[in-house]
Amino acid sequence: MSDDIAVGIDLGTSYSCVASSLEGGAPQVLANEWGDHTHASVVSFLDDGTVLVGNTAKKNIITNAENTVYSAKRLIGRFFFSDEVKKAQAVMPYRIVEGPNNSVRVEVKGKNFAIPEISALVLKEMKAIAETALGRSVTRAVVTCPAYFNDNQRQATKDAGRIAGLEVLRIINEPTAAALAYGFGRDVHQRICVYDLGGGTFDVSILEIGKDVFEVLSTAGDTYLGGDDFDDRIMTWLADDFLQKHGLDLRQNKFCLQMLKEAGEQAKIAVGREGSAQIHVPGICQSPEGDVIDLSQKLTADQFNRMVMDLVQRTFKVCDEALQSAKMTASDIDAVILVGGPTRLPIIRNSVRHYFQKEPMAGIDPDEVVAMGAAIQASALLNARAATAGQASYLLDVTPLSLRVGTVGGFTEKIIEKNTPIPIEKSKTFTTSRDGQDRVRIRVYQGESNRAEGCELLGEFEFTGFRIGYRGEVQIQVTFEIDSNGIVNVSATDIETRQKTSTTISLSSGLSEQDLKKAMEHNADIELARGQRAA
Amino acid sequence: MVDETFLAEVQALASALDQLDYFGILKIPQTATPADVKAAYYRESRAYHPDRFAAVPDAALHEAVGRIYRRVNEAYTVLRDDKKRTKYLADVTGPERTRKLRFTEADEAQVKEAEKKKIEEQFGQTPNGRKFFATALQEIQAGHWEAAQRALKSALMYEAGNAKFKEQLALVEKELDKTRPKGDQFRIK
Repeated sequence: MSDDIAVGIDLGTSYSCVASSLEGGAPQVLANEWGDHTHASVVSFLDDGTVLVGNTAKKNIITNAENTVYSAKRLIGRFFFSDEVKKAQAVMPYRIVEGPNNSVRVEVKGKNFAIPEISALVLKEMKAIAETALGRSVTRAVVTCPAYFNDNQRQATKDAGRIAGLEVLRIINEPTAAALAYGFGRDVHQRICVYDLGGGTFDVSILEIGKDVFEVLSTAGDTYLGGDDFDDRIMTWLADDFLQKHGLDLRQNKFCLQMLKEAGEQAKIAVGREGSAQIHVPGICQSPEGDVIDLSQKLTADQFNRMVMDLVQRTFKVCDEALQSAKMTASDIDAVILVGGPTRLPIIRNSVRHYFQKEPMAGIDPDEVVAMGAAIQASALLNARAATAGQASYLLDVTPLSLRVGTVGGFTEKIIEKNTPIPIEKSKTFTTSRDGQDRVRIRVYQGESNRAEGCELLGEFEFTGFRIGYRGEVQIQVTFEIDSNGIVNVSATDIETRQKTSTTISLSSGLSEQDLKKAMEHNADIELARGQRAA
Repeated sequence: MVDETFLAEVQALASALDQLDYFGILKIPQTATPADVKAAYYRESRAYHPDRFAAVPDAALHEAVGRIYRRVNEAYTVLRDDKKRTKYLADVTGPERTRKLRFTEADEAQVKEAEKKKIEEQFGQTPNGRKFFATALQEIQAGHWEAAQRALKSALMYEAGNAKFKEQLALVEKELDKTRPKGDQFRIK
């Protein structure tokens, strides 16, 4: 009973972290054999057939570009035709191709991988790190995802866990996990705002926290906004400047682009830490005449701040939205928690201080707090005593997006409002439109637009096995359920016979059960390389 | 593990869900304040949140607790929203009570319609009615009672039944009366 443990995993766009909370005590981040607490979410397929994951794989983004996959979280659960995927195709050195049902695949060394399979390799590494640190096998985990992730993205994240051989006890929202780590055992009664700016996504959650109850009042986000976009601005500036000076566009060559990206990332960190950055990439490319050209540039904090100001403003528009949904103003917030590496940037800290008119909470590690919260929740879910004695902490979370059903003319009708506490269910009655109709089909969406094309399609559900009759005579009650993971389940009953109909899902971009089983076997066969630590 | 009495309680509650209204689900009186509603929600969450039973390998328990807690969330979502709560209270104290125990999307649509109507009634339902009423309000602010009276009478030409317009007109005419000279000064003697 108490022999069973579960870990908490923060599966981030750029970095991942794993923690455990033994016997419900304080959570601890688990380090790898080199003492790293966070591990790059980079997967590099080596020539010997092994796969290198983590910080040692990062340099392979340049040296083994086509076979090294990073920022998979930007693609997970998305459709091939989405803007984010198109953007990635233009920029990423690894091959992104179309899979069945408008899904996305990555092609490496002639093999096709679904995005959850790539994330599963990161999770496999986290599992290995945990097992080494704890000296025992680990098969259960709580995995986090951005609060604003839709159903497709959540399901794909859960699939990634399964593929890696983990039983995913729960998918929890990153800001909620951070709030839990912050408030756990503290007995503070506050209304807090979690400002979570990660590598690829931005979330804001407003919570009311007490001794044991953590209630999410509202959540808002932007799954197309993160630290990577800040790097992009520097990259664009450097590339434009280089083009002007040398007449060569570094963005045309994926190899140069990667070096530019690394330079941009280093510059961002240096500007944040020191106020200015000296960028120098020797031999970044060759002119048509054969001269080797260096990239040399200086970036000041002022220049950087001006370049990224619109991104920063976007984050506060999201804050406005979250506050409005919670029917609060910035001054109602008692404490602000910053999560994610990019929140170390002075421009972020200063803007947050200005917006909320208070200093963000100190003493919280923005890179580790999410994993720690996940570890606390993992321990709570395994606690058999909670059934009689109650839990130490209750997470009352919400669904971030409205659930909608397609109607005629390409419109949608709202079924469940965003920011509704979960788990929740809502029913709607449908009827047949033709005599003798034997199947009813509905399309389910998530989003705020009343037009289907402005929303995310979750799938087309077909119900059969109900009583056949004249049109309008047969009433089907469709129940839409959102579970604690924020994942949608749809089922239907024939109202008159009270019999459940059979439900088939199509047009979903997710992996079938068959695909999942194959992926699990494949993942188990892959050997994780142990990289060489640079001296 | 979980004791027998608790299991029996949970099963009983799960079966009785459809006979209770949202106040019954949260175990609060119809007069409960917003603070009471929140406290009740927290109390019921501590008792029935599915996470509490995650480690108990009992599928029937999970199913029952899940159904109870989803209804608790449904009740809280409606009762914490002033407008929805008002409508809900009217529905469940009226003749259609049994049909209206659960707030449906038709009810949500009605709440939105009611909101829209309230705004329209405040300021007018026709463009001209709204225009004249807006003018009247400005004149009232400036203390120009006769101009206000004219504007309001014009507004009423377009919306004879508007209660708000009539109310304002009555107020304005009362003000006018005060300024009018008393007595029969103009009576031809």
